[in-house]
Parts: sequence; C-alpha cells; structure tokens
Amino acid sequence: MPTLSDRGPRPPERHRGAQGLSGPALKRRVAPVRAEAAVHPVVVLAAAAIGAGLLTWFASGRSKRLGPAGSEGRRYARRGSAVTASAAQRLNHASTMLAASVLFDSGLEHYRGQFFNRAMYTPIIVSSVTLAASLHGAGDTDPGSSRVRHGVQALAGLTGLIGFGFHAYNVGKREGGYSFQNLFYSAPIGAPMALTLAGILGVIAEHVRDADPDAPRLVGLPAGPALALATAGMLAGTTLEAGLLHFRGAFQNPAMYIPVSLPPLAAALLARAAAKPAGANQAGAKWGMWAVSAMGVGGVAFHAYGVARMMGGWDNWRQNLIDGPPLPAPPSFSGVALGGLAALELLEHRPFRF
Amino acid sequence: MLPRRDLYPGYDVLAKRDSPSWNAKTRAVLDERLRIGPETRRFFDEAEWPTIKAIADRIVPQPVDRADPVPVAALVDHKLATDTRDGYRNPELPEEREAWRLGLTALDAEAQARFGARFHELGTWAQDALLKSAEVGELTDAAWAGMPSNLFFHKRVLPDVVKAYYAHPTAWNEIGWGGPASPRGYVRMDFDRRDPWEAAEAKPGREDEAYEDNLLVGR
Amino acid sequence: MRIPGLGNAADNPKHAIPGNDPEHQPRARDGRAPNVMRIGEWVPMRQHRDDEEVDFAIVGTGAGGGTLACRLAERGFSVVAFDAGPYFRPLEDFASDESHQSKLYWTDERIVDGENPLQMGSNNSGKAVGGSTVHYAMVALRFRPEWFKARTLMGYGADWPIDWREMWHYYDQVEDDLKISGPVSYPWGPHRRRYHRRAHEINAAAKVLARGAEAMGIGWTPTPLATVSAPHGDAPPCVYRGFCTLGCSTNAKQSVLVSYLPRALKAGAEIRDLAMVGRIETKNGRASGVHYFREGKWRFQRAKNVVVAGYAIETPRLLLNSANQEFPDGLANSSGLVGKNLMVQGNQAVWGVFDEEIRSYKGPPSLAISEHWNYDDRGHGPFAKDFFGGYSYMSQGPLPQLWANTQASAHGLWGEALVAEMQRYNHVAGLKVVSEYMPQERNRVTLSDVKDQYGLPVARITYSWCDNDKALNRHALKFLREALVAAGGREVWDQGDDTCHLNGTARMGADPRTSVVDADCRSWDIPNLYVCDGSVFPTVGGVNPSLTIQAIALRTADRISSRER
Repeated sequence: MPTLSDRGPRPPERHRGAQGLSGPALKRRVAPVRAEAAVHPVVVLAAAAIGAGLLTWFASGRSKRLGPAGSEGRRYARRGSAVTASAAQRLNHASTMLAASVLFDSGLEHYRGQFFNRAMYTPIIVSSVTLAASLHGAGDTDPGSSRVRHGVQALAGLTGLIGFGFHAYNVGKREGGYSFQNLFYSAPIGAPMALTLAGILGVIAEHVRDADPDAPRLVGLPAGPALALATAGMLAGTTLEAGLLHFRGAFQNPAMYIPVSLPPLAAALLARAAAKPAGANQAGAKWGMWAVSAMGVGGVAFHAYGVARMMGGWDNWRQNLIDGPPLPAPPSFSGVALGGLAALELLEHRPFRF
Repeated sequence: MLPRRDLYPGYDVLAKRDSPSWNAKTRAVLDERLRIGPETRRFFDEAEWPTIKAIADRIVPQPVDRADPVPVAALVDHKLATDTRDGYRNPELPEEREAWRLGLTALDAEAQARFGARFHELGTWAQDALLKSAEVGELTDAAWAGMPSNLFFHKRVLPDVVKAYYAHPTAWNEIGWGGPASPRGYVRMDFDRRDPWEAAEAKPGREDEAYEDNLLVGR
Repeated sequence: MRIPGLGNAADNPKHAIPGNDPEHQPRARDGRAPNVMRIGEWVPMRQHRDDEEVDFAIVGTGAGGGTLACRLAERGFSVVAFDAGPYFRPLEDFASDESHQSKLYWTDERIVDGENPLQMGSNNSGKAVGGSTVHYAMVALRFRPEWFKARTLMGYGADWPIDWREMWHYYDQVEDDLKISGPVSYPWGPHRRRYHRRAHEINAAAKVLARGAEAMGIGWTPTPLATVSAPHGDAPPCVYRGFCTLGCSTNAKQSVLVSYLPRALKAGAEIRDLAMVGRIETKNGRASGVHYFREGKWRFQRAKNVVVAGYAIETPRLLLNSANQEFPDGLANSSGLVGKNLMVQGNQAVWGVFDEEIRSYKGPPSLAISEHWNYDDRGHGPFAKDFFGGYSYMSQGPLPQLWANTQASAHGLWGEALVAEMQRYNHVAGLKVVSEYMPQERNRVTLSDVKDQYGLPVARITYSWCDNDKALNRHALKFLREALVAAGGREVWDQGDDTCHLNGTARMGADPRTSVVDADCRSWDIPNLYVCDGSVFPTVGGVNPSLTIQAIALRTADRISSRER
C-alpha cells in the first residue's frame, strides 16, 4: 500500500486533462476580457449593500424632526422621556440584531441558491439598509423620529412579507407540495419573517420616540402591554421556525431543545408581565428576556461546533457553512428578546441599564 | 449518432487534487494510476501488446490530436497484472488472464484468415468488422479453443476496456463528472445546479462562461 | 478548529501507519481492533485461544453475522466472529475511486450459469469486515406484512414461520440502532415508529422519480436510508459525495462495520479479519468448531455453537463443503434444500436523457422510492397485474465506470457511439426496480470442480427466470418507461437483465422436510448449528433485504439467549 501522501508534489508524469480534447475545430480558449470578470459578484453585492447602508445612515440623520412630539416643547426633561428614549434605542438594538441576522443568513442561503432568481438579491440590500437605519437609531439618544428610518423599517417589514409569499410559493410548487420534506429543504418558509420582525420593531422604535412620554401608546393601545404581547408572539413564531429546523436535525444534540423550550417560557413571562399593573417590578420577565438574548448569541457558538462536526470540519467550510447549522440564524432570538426588554422598560416605566 | 464535443471546456478534475474534494488515500491511488504510461506493460507479451492497443482504440476511440491519450491498454494490463477479478465467470469462459491471452491470439488468427494481416495492421473498418463479428459470436476459428467469441467480447473486452478508460481523469473531464469527493461532497443537488467545484457545461453561445467557471473548480 | 478524530482529521497523514496493509495483514489481533470511527485509534478486544470452546463461532460479519455477534455479546455470550475480508478503516483506507474500491467486493472465483446467469461481485457480494453492508446502497425498507404469509394470503412462494408483528418489533430496534433517515411518515404499510433522523434532501434524479410518480398518480417518498442526516456519535452527517456503493469514507453510512461491530467489540466479542472459514467440524451430530485459514495456515476454533452467516452463496457453499461421514450430503441438508431456492431480485432499469442537468452522481444513489406496486395487488388498465409478487423502484446515481459499463453491456454501445453517449452523463436519469422473484428449486448453489486459492471448491450458481419473473419484468419495465417519459425523459431505453441481492439457499420454515432451519434460524438437523443471513428467506419480497436480515439477526439472538439462559 502506498503511504498516504498529503498534498505532496504531483507525480512527474501527471497527465493533463481536457486540453487534449480540443481538436482543430475547437481552438484553445482564452478568458475573454470583460470588466465585470475582474470583480467577484459577491464583492459587487457587498459593495452595493454597504453603499446603500451608508446612504441610509446619512439620510436618517437629516430627516429628523427636532424635539419630542406634543405641544409642551422641551421646557424640562420629563421623567417619561428617558423611558421612551431608552426603549426606542433598545428597539433599534433589537432591529439591528434581526437585520444583521437576516443579512448574513439570507446572504448565505441565497448564495447556496446561487441567486437563481434575481429577486434573491432583494433581502440582502433591504436588510443592509435596515441594518444601517437600525444602527443609526441605536445611537440616537434624542427623542423624535426620523422619516427615513421610519420609511426604511416599513420597507423591511413589507419586504419580509413579500419574501414569505415567495418562499411559500416556492415550497408549494416543489414535487410533494407542502410536505415536511419541502419545508425542510426548499426555501425556508419562516426565514423572511425575521426581516418583517426587524421592520416592525424598527417602526415601533420610531413610534415610541414620537409617543407621549408619560403615557406612550401604540396603535391606540398602551405601548408597554401592546409591545410585550407583540414580542411574545414574535418569540413564538421564531420558536416555530427553530423547532422546524431542529426537528430536521432530529434534535440529535440535547442542546437543540433549548431554543424550543426557553423562548416559549420567556414569552409566557412576557405575556404575564403585560397583565401586571403599570410600573410593577418585572424582574422575572427581564431575566427571561436576557436568557433568550444570551441563548441567541450562544447559539452561534453551538452552530459553529456543529459545523466543525460535519465531515471535513472548518477546512471544508465551503460545504459545511452552507450545509451545516446556519451560524447567523440564532441571533434573531436575541433580537426579539431585546424588543421584549424594551417592552418591559415601558411596562416598568423606568429605564434600566441591563 | 452524436458527435463528441468539448462540452466542459477548460475543466480539469486534477485541478481539484489539493482541494478538500480529495483525501490522502485518493491522491495516493490516483497518483499511482497516473504513473502508468502508455507503454507500461507487465502482463501482455510483445505479440499481444499491439493487438490490445488496437482493440482499445476501437472500443474507446480518442481524438487523434489528444496530447496525452489515456493509456487504455496499459490500464487493462495493470488490471490483469494485479489479477483484479470480477468475481464470477461463465463456465464457457476460462479465467480472466487466460481468456485475454486466448482471445487476443484468436482475433489475430481471424484477422490473418480473413484479411491476411495481423489485427493491429488492419484499417479501422476491418478491425470494426472483426469486432462486430466477435460481438455476435460469428468468429469460430480453432484458435478460440472453444471459447465463444461473443462471450469474450461481452464479458471480457467490453467491461475491461471500457472500465479502464473511464477510470482515468481525462475521461472524467470529457463527461463532466465531479470526480473524487471526500471529505467535501456536494451541496447543490437540484436540477440545473452545480457547486463551484463542479464542471460547468458549455451551453451553446456561452462557452466562454463555462470556460471561466471551469478554471475555478480547484479553488 | 480541529476536533480530534472526527472528519477533518481524516486528511492528517501523521496518523497513517506505513506498510499497514489491511488486505494482507490482519488488523484485529494482539488484543486490539481498529477504532473505525477515529483515525489511527484502536479499541481493546477480548481474544480467545483456538482450543478454548467459545459459546459462538460466527462465520461472517455482515448484516446477519455482525448484528448477531453484537447482540449475543451484549447478552453475555463469548463470541468469535470470522470474516474472510479485511478490517478496513473507512476514514483512511477508502479512496473516492471506483476501480480502487472494488477491494470491497467478493471477487474470488465463482461460476455462473443457467438461462439467466447472474452477475456477482460488485453488486451483491462483499468481502470485508462488515460484509456487503460496507458497500450497500443503505436502502432500509420493511417487508410488507402479508409477505410473511405469502403462501396463505397471496398464493405464492412459502410462508415464513415468523409473525409480522414480531418482525415489526425488531425492525423498530434496527431502525433505532442505525438511526435510519427517513420521511416523517411512511406512505405504505401499517403504522411504524417515526424514523430517528429526517429524510435527506433529494437530488434531481430523485425529483425525476417524484415527477414521474405524480404524473402516473401513484405515491412516492424520500427513501429511508441508513446514512445519517444529522450527527450520530462520531458519525458526521452525509456530505452527498455519491460514492455510497463504493464504501463510505466519512462514516455517515451506518454499515455494520461502524454500527454493530464497535458495540460488539465493546461487549467482548472477538473479530477475526482475513480469516476464511473452510469447513465446519461435527462430532456426534453436533457442530464442534470451525476450520479457518488465517495468517498462512489452517487453524481450528472450538465452539459450543456455530452460526453460518456468509450470505446466500457462501453459506450453502460452506455447508456443502463441510460434508463428512456423518453428514455426507453436507450439513443441515436432510431436506436436500441447502443451496436450493436461490432468489435474487430483479434490478431492471429504464434510462432516459433530460434537458435539465441532472448530475445524479451527487448524493446517495436512491434518494426517492415508490413502493406502490408492492402494495397494489391488482393494478388496472395496461398495468393490471398478471403475476405474483411486487416491486419497488428507486432513483439511481451511477458513477462513470458503472455507467459506461452499463452503456456497453446493456445498451450495446462501443466505439464513437459510446464515448459520445457518455458525454450526456450529466443529463441522464433512470429508475430501477427491486422486484420479487419466485423461489425455484432449480435456481441453486452447488459445488464446482474449480478450486479457489484456499483449495476449496468454488460455488456454481445456476439461475433462470420463471414465467412469473418474466411477467413481472415486463410490467415493471413498461410502467417505469411510462413514468420516466412522463417526467420528461427522452430516448428512453431499458436495461433488462440486471439483478441484485442474494437470498433463500437455506430457507426457514415450520417443517423440517421443506426447510433447512426453523424460525429461530437453528438448523433442523444439527441443534447447535445456525444460519443467520439472507439465506433463510423463504421469499424475498420487493424491497432490499438488509433491514430484514438485521431484524432476523436480533430476533435470533433474543431467541438464543432466552433458550440458553
């Protein structure tokens, strides 16, 4: 048996392959000179995404109304405005997290799908724009909304819904239709909704900025309980998606049960929190939200371990990053949980650092 | 019949040798195979050698201008020299090495009888005519020693020669097969999808794109 | 990041032992055996002296013998399992190469004759520790319950002496042990437990089957496969490299080599690789041990019980070769049925060319299946059934050598026609059946006058189709052709002569006059001689047999331990 040679020198009489085929009629080809050939399409896409993001960032700053809503002006800082400002920022942290998760996840998954349909570029551009708007909002300590941010977040929400429609159509048209098999392996039906969640939380951030700091309201309801219930619902939805994909992975590792058990628990705490009187202590729900946030970040590490367990490990990253557990997916849990924390801030009616 | 084409321009499966698609064992096995040159011969004797080479050229013809043709006869020789067997045979066929010796001698004798020259000296038309007669079992010269020529053709010549050719990377390039795949396998399995490390097929009018893609399979 | 011993270490040459050739030097010796899951690592192995009378000497370590060895050892018996083949380390020894991997096949001489001589070697016989499961296509299907009473309920073949509900219980266990990756719910047959891994993503070739089945109005499903879709212990999930039938170099495939045998070693079984058993010794009507050839000489292992698990050719060959004064017609052969009723399964195919790129070399070969014609007994219109038995059919993924050989042997192409046709390799898809052939006494394994390298008479394998087999072939090819055309296939052609799997040469039954072994796989003639492999099947059914062989092995082990304890 020859000993295992590892990437050693090639054998001297190595036979070259396909050139031999080219007969007189088939001239040896030279790579054509084309401008776009010099730059990898992925680089073009990244540049476009970054450019759009930067534009959004600058535009967001220029489209702000100064000062809080209401007629009283800025005579003195009201206690409530600290709460709404903090909650709004936190909501933007949430949408940042979700947008980043969508950006990388859709990038990876649509790279796998080789952008077969041009619409597959959309979520990448939209999520980078959303990411920029959210980051801008996250650093914005002033009350008062930004029209550009508001518009961008609304666009994200809409794009996610359209994406959901696309994916649902894609699943249905496959051989076997709406079967588990296609839910597992064709376009992930729940994934675009993460962009919608980012958009919704971003839009709410702008609404909270504009709301009456002492009695913030959202779509006619008290902001705290409404947001708490909304994020609880979002947690449930995200759990469903994680559940589907971890079921595909047959829950082979006990840790895979965490994202289907912890978030619903935390969501229940959040719903209970919404029912408590305004200003009550929400320590339990807060812990729940922090736990889910940490789980989202820790999930990346678990998924990285999962990639390493695939055949060839990280050396075979071109296969395993795509076929293995998706690294960018878990932080969407953190995003939603941050939204839950913003809700708790509004419920407790006091800002908190952690 | 379809013409043979340069369907995967620029594709060389050996470009993937140092990529995660090949493991150490595969590299060792293929290195050994690629060391077999066109005149490497251990089993066939001097008289049989031109005959098996001529047969191989008819069963799996290669472009005349191919710079580095697949050494099909040498690969068959390697199989027989290492006594790699199928694991079964028809009772009318002797065991593999004996069948080959007998068959080659008999084909030469048939060529002499019908055309007055040795098999490898014949033109391709005459060689094909003889092989077609063997295919249907019409050759019954005493030199066959009772071995049915159709069994020899179907059970020895075709499988041994065809498998020898398609064991070679040059043949894999010709048909656009992905080649060895371990530890890295494949990701995209749907209709009309290829991984960046697979051969790109030249679509009419878009051969240049395929050529560019094929230069990148080794990355 | 490297996790020691797992996939990525497979490429690390520092683990290689120079001059370590498993095909010529036994690996399982000196108190240790290869740890097949880890590069260069070993596991301790309990060993027995030849003159020590072990509880069980098992001949063969494949689906039957390996599975049985595992459970017997786990039940506390002392077990020595012999295999004529090498003890491969898949991560190190398996190349991605068709020619090289023919080392997995049983290529010792065999003579084939009859009206439809079988092709042996690559597609049905393994010579390696782990047996044919090292190169099987991993299709893990259960029998249809009615087949266990084929004679009574369906009017053909013979009844099994085992109740299907009992088999269902053992199927559950094998599916759990092998972590079968299958659909969330299986469309045919009575309820079964959910598979332990989800089905794999299906490739374009499998989608061709799906399209065809949907067009023909019959059901289809992703195939339950014994290769994991999510990690299991040290086994990484399948990477869809497509070399399944040439040995899995990632250990995703749950062959007996990587599933039951490591457990067997842990439980105290001994495995002897490169150990060819040539004869079973008997004394006073009981088996007393086996003569085996290892490391250059013949040896004799004493044993309280002997189990033959060499698959349906080597098992009758060994029983017949062991003929002595006490048993002049061969062991366990008072019925005269040893070697008779050899059953293969039809493996006909239709192939066609598609406009789309299929590239069926990606992924396990048989990712989608329809068992419709196993469960539909009548059919209608042009597909009314005029024969007994049924068939399943699956998508295919031949690699270049196999495909070229198919084009040459079954399609009759050579010369320019062959090389040009081969260029359409990436556009080809096919459907292939596994169909039920009838047991016939004239299909049999006998001994020839040719001797092998051990000086033992080689097997002569005689096979001919009966009218029922031919009618089934016709039905299958006609249906498949229509399904492939409905899926978009052009220039469809039939591959009419292929067969697969080996069963039936030491059938089980309830009557010593018409069977070789009883329901517990114990021979009627010699109370401490067992046969435990595909040989015991009275009928074959229209599905791949490995899962049933393994279920029977587990049942046999349970029956033995309940009797002995």
